[in-house]
Amino acid sequence: MISSENIILHELIGLESLVMTSSNPTCKVKGIVVDETKNTLIIEQDDVRKRIIKQDSFFRFKLPNGTMIEIDGSAIIGRPEDRVKKKIKRRW
Amino acid sequence: MKERPASEIALERINILFELAEKNYRRREELARRYLQLAKRIAMRNRIRIPQNLNRRMCKECYSYLVPGVTSRVRVRSKREPHVSITCMNCGTVKRLPIKRRKQE
Repeated sequence: MISSENIILHELIGLESLVMTSSNPTCKVKGIVVDETKNTLIIEQDDVRKRIIKQDSFFRFKLPNGTMIEIDGSAIIGRPEDRVKKKIKRRW
Repeated sequence: MKERPASEIALERINILFELAEKNYRRREELARRYLQLAKRIAMRNRIRIPQNLNRRMCKECYSYLVPGVTSRVRVRSKREPHVSITCMNCGTVKRLPIKRRKQE
């Protein structure tokens, strides 16, 4: 199951999400993730698709078991098929 | 902390993607196709097989989600060798499944 530990590796498509970005007001989107590329997430809100850059945003996802998790976009950069294999950035 | 093997997560993701394709194939055909293509890539990357029951609902050529009556045509053919043929209505590719005789146990 998707959990707070493996959200980085797991499928983001289909999750409800809220984008909390500071600078650009048009980027504050709430909706369902429909597609994913290396650097962006495509979120759909009322039949309008918005492409949000992962690097500059904070995302809040609602997991199927009800938990809400907030995550920095730069932690989920990568093509979806590449993200399955562990991407761990060691800072030390 | 014990890490779950990547292949386990890959299998979960493939199942999720097929479920999403099932929900979306009517209204958003291209999305369903994209999900199936993604599932195949995840399976290839992690060297695991897509489960047989799911693999049979996917068109090899165009990645459409095959639903009998809607996006695919299913026939039982008895000439030559008895087999089930599933024809994708989008691209015309035929998937043939030979019928095996169950041995008496």
